[in-house]
Amino acid sequence: MAAAATIRPDENLKRFLYASLALHVALLVIAAIDGYFSRPGENWGAAGGSVTVGLVGNVPAIPLPQPEVSSPNRVVDESKGLFKSEPQPQPKQDLDATPLPKFKQEPKPPKYVTRPSKVLENPTPPPPNAVPYGGGGTPTVPVTSFTMGAGNAAAAGLTFGGAQGGDFASRFGAYVFGVQQRISSEWLQSSVDPTLSYAPRVQVTFDILRNGTITNIQLLQSSNNRSLDVSALRAVQSSSPLQPLPAAYSGSYVNVQFYFDYRR
Amino acid sequence: MAPKKAILTVVSLFALLICAALPASAQDWFKTGTGLGVQKARLAVPDTVARASFTQPFPKTFHDVLWNDLDFSGILDLVSPSFYPTQNPGQPSELNAQAWSAAPANAFMVAYGNMAMDGSNLAFSGYLSDVRNPSGAPALQKIYRGAMTDADVRRMAHQFADDIIAFLSGGQPGIAQTKIAYVSARGGNKEVWMMDYDGANAQQLTHLKSISLTPRWSPDGSRIAFTCYVPYRNVTSAQICMYSTVSNRLIAFPRFRGTTSSPAWSPDGSQIAFMSSQSGDPQIYIADADGGHAHKITFAAGVSTSPAWNPKTGKQMVFVSDRGGSPVLYMSSSDGSNVEKLDLPDMGYVIDPAWSPNGQLLAFSWRRPSGNYDIYVMDIVSRQLIELTKDEGRNERPSWAPDGRHLVFESTRTGTRQIWSMLADGSQPRQLTFEGQNESPNWSPK
Repeated sequence: MAAAATIRPDENLKRFLYASLALHVALLVIAAIDGYFSRPGENWGAAGGSVTVGLVGNVPAIPLPQPEVSSPNRVVDESKGLFKSEPQPQPKQDLDATPLPKFKQEPKPPKYVTRPSKVLENPTPPPPNAVPYGGGGTPTVPVTSFTMGAGNAAAAGLTFGGAQGGDFASRFGAYVFGVQQRISSEWLQSSVDPTLSYAPRVQVTFDILRNGTITNIQLLQSSNNRSLDVSALRAVQSSSPLQPLPAAYSGSYVNVQFYFDYRR
Repeated sequence: MAPKKAILTVVSLFALLICAALPASAQDWFKTGTGLGVQKARLAVPDTVARASFTQPFPKTFHDVLWNDLDFSGILDLVSPSFYPTQNPGQPSELNAQAWSAAPANAFMVAYGNMAMDGSNLAFSGYLSDVRNPSGAPALQKIYRGAMTDADVRRMAHQFADDIIAFLSGGQPGIAQTKIAYVSARGGNKEVWMMDYDGANAQQLTHLKSISLTPRWSPDGSRIAFTCYVPYRNVTSAQICMYSTVSNRLIAFPRFRGTTSSPAWSPDGSQIAFMSSQSGDPQIYIADADGGHAHKITFAAGVSTSPAWNPKTGKQMVFVSDRGGSPVLYMSSSDGSNVEKLDLPDMGYVIDPAWSPNGQLLAFSWRRPSGNYDIYVMDIVSRQLIELTKDEGRNERPSWAPDGRHLVFESTRTGTRQIWSMLADGSQPRQLTFEGQNESPNWSPK
């Protein structure tokens, strides 16, 4: 303490401190704004997504919705297990934020918080045949009340049908659903190379004009299989014109990123 | 003052950068996709609210027809009414979106409305609301008007259902207002009849008092070609007859020597293919829509009949021929060249080819050596097969709905021959006719 007291705060150092503080704040602002406005990249982890199972004897060209396949990558699995584990006690958090240091005074040495020693919480071990909570399969409640909630969104904390995006998907969910239905039904999977059993996701981007016309179709991400790429592009082309954009939407067009997951 | 100046400079520099970045990100966009597991939308359809007192149960009829149409659309998952909130909305201001989107209803959308009097007419205000949409504006709102008759109430409900289905399938029209032509013997003779796609409003079209078979709608829906047995100079033979749905009467079509039957329209409506025995063996001929310029396109020995044009391209044709022994399907170009047998993994009779509207699937009936006639669908490109009916009487003569999601066919599963419809994956079979014997259905093109 004696040594610290002898060093007087220099006027020049203070100036640089202010500048660096401003720069940091600006960086934070940039990061926040960028995170808010920039497009998310890969749609991994969304519902109806990357893990799909092929069904035997299902002709893909019938434009009916395919049977729902439960994907294991749900955020929340609310199914009941046989054995319910005790909820983990949350570590107590200090709700008071650390006050901003006042630079007029001397910086205080940081206060180190030692972690409390671990206490054995579950002295009786679970039975060997226990099914962990959330791993118990189909819930016992009426299935109808869960068909949508489980696969979709509200329950899993995602937007409808695996759709994501700006304001549009939440405001005009019904329109997005229509687009998804239409392109799915126009996707002729029988035109894909029959030797292909798995391919990376194909992503196509296009614009929907006010009258529902699809323009500006581009392949955003190739599956490295030409026949699959072409089938995806054709599905989008043959879906034009879609339903006109919702009347409540003020923009002149909307941009869509549409992905195709192929499994035979 | 130097540090303040430096801070100001830095801050204003970043502010400038942010402002420059903003307009580029303002365009609306969304991301979605497909794979296996495209889900059906959960739709709730509460009872129609009556805004006047009606002498007949019009609101209930409306709701029942609407429910059946939406249930049979194949793209929706209707929420059971037992999960509905107690309050029935009649207009958007009465809709408690929270209550509908929450458990147990868990609805994604609600189709509702009210029926009121407009002078001496009925007016139904229909709404489709996305209950998860924070703005709450209906995705669809429309007023449907009609006379105070049961038929008009059904028509209004079909229109509302079609609007909902078109909206939720991205602009593909629904089929709730389509018709089915078929042959019925309920009056004693086999005559051509027509009904709504759900079996209502059956009406007799022909009164030939002989035998009529295989009605086929023209692609614009203005005519029905069928096989008729009309005596001519004391000789009765099968010929092609033509019925106009515009003038509601038979119109002229030339007679050919021998037997003529099983007409099929080209997708542009300019030509008709049919079977004719005018030069010996029954072969397939193509003529103009008025019967002129008939020319033969099949030449193999044996019988060739039941042509079906690829409705998408008009460049291929599938027909039935017994040139190889038993009747099976052959595919050729529409001029008769490039004939190719459609091989199946089993023996048996294969008849009644019907091509789906997108040209990708072929429905037909097949009697395998082990069983009865059943409806199958073949993916033309990959030659994959699925069996749609099994162990339920004879199931024959499939015909596709214009949306490609439904099939109509005849079945003897109830003991008598009746018309049934189902989704194109074989689910949701529905009996459409109940009176007499009914057969040979054909779905109208729109």
